[in-house]
Amino acid sequence: MKRNEPGKHDDALRKLLKEWRTDASLARRFQESVWQRIEHAEQAEAPAAPSVWTGIAQWISTMLPRPALAISYVAVLLAVGVTAGWAQARQESARVRDELGLRYVRVLDPYLDPRK
Amino acid sequence: MKRGVFILVLGVVAAAAAYGCIYFACTASARSLQRSDKPELAWLKEEFNLSDAEFNRVSELHAAYLPQCRDMCRQIDAQNVHLQKLLADTTNVTPEIDAALADAARMRSDCQRMMLRHFVQVSQTMPPEQGRRYLAWVEAKAFLPDYGMSRTEN
Repeated sequence: MKRNEPGKHDDALRKLLKEWRTDASLARRFQESVWQRIEHAEQAEAPAAPSVWTGIAQWISTMLPRPALAISYVAVLLAVGVTAGWAQARQESARVRDELGLRYVRVLDPYLDPRK
Repeated sequence: MKRGVFILVLGVVAAAAAYGCIYFACTASARSLQRSDKPELAWLKEEFNLSDAEFNRVSELHAAYLPQCRDMCRQIDAQNVHLQKLLADTTNVTPEIDAALADAARMRSDCQRMMLRHFVQVSQTMPPEQGRRYLAWVEAKAFLPDYGMSRTEN
């Protein structure tokens, strides 16, 4: 199994590289241009600063599924719903009762009766 | 991510459901009053904790009062038309206008007396504490300092 004997391949490669000779000369400022290309590539690949939405999405996918946080989140929203419903209902009931009380007086009082 | 979004949506749905359930449960009584045959009397029964017997007696008094009230409305309307006609036909305060104004004042006084008598009768059919509360409430509504001044009709 060749895959189980990497040493042999490395040795062969090293030997081949030692024997390899080339007469080609490097381009002028080759090294500098290589570093410039590396620098440009790194800049292009640098991740953008995370946006608020990315942060929220990250939080939703990583933090929210934690049982304690999930239960707290649902419980808080339930409490908000119950409180808002109760407050709105109380206001609406008071409005209806005021209206009916006024209607009672209007039915009995000719000077408040909005007839034409 | 899917699990997180599911929990997010679940929270919002739970809040909306809780809001709806509580709102409809807490306004059920008010909606039931509005749907009744005579909402103003149904309101009176609930507001002053009347028993069925007390409510029946109040309803009888109410039904007996309404024809008198309608008759008074007709007289007031006729008197207003008469006064408007007199005012339109003259630029002076004539004896006829004086008499019409006096009639209007008398009519208002009669109307207030009739209402007050009815309110007292109704209050006497209620338990004493509720009767006092009813009388104080209805007098404040029907005998305000600006009585009759906030009418929108003409």
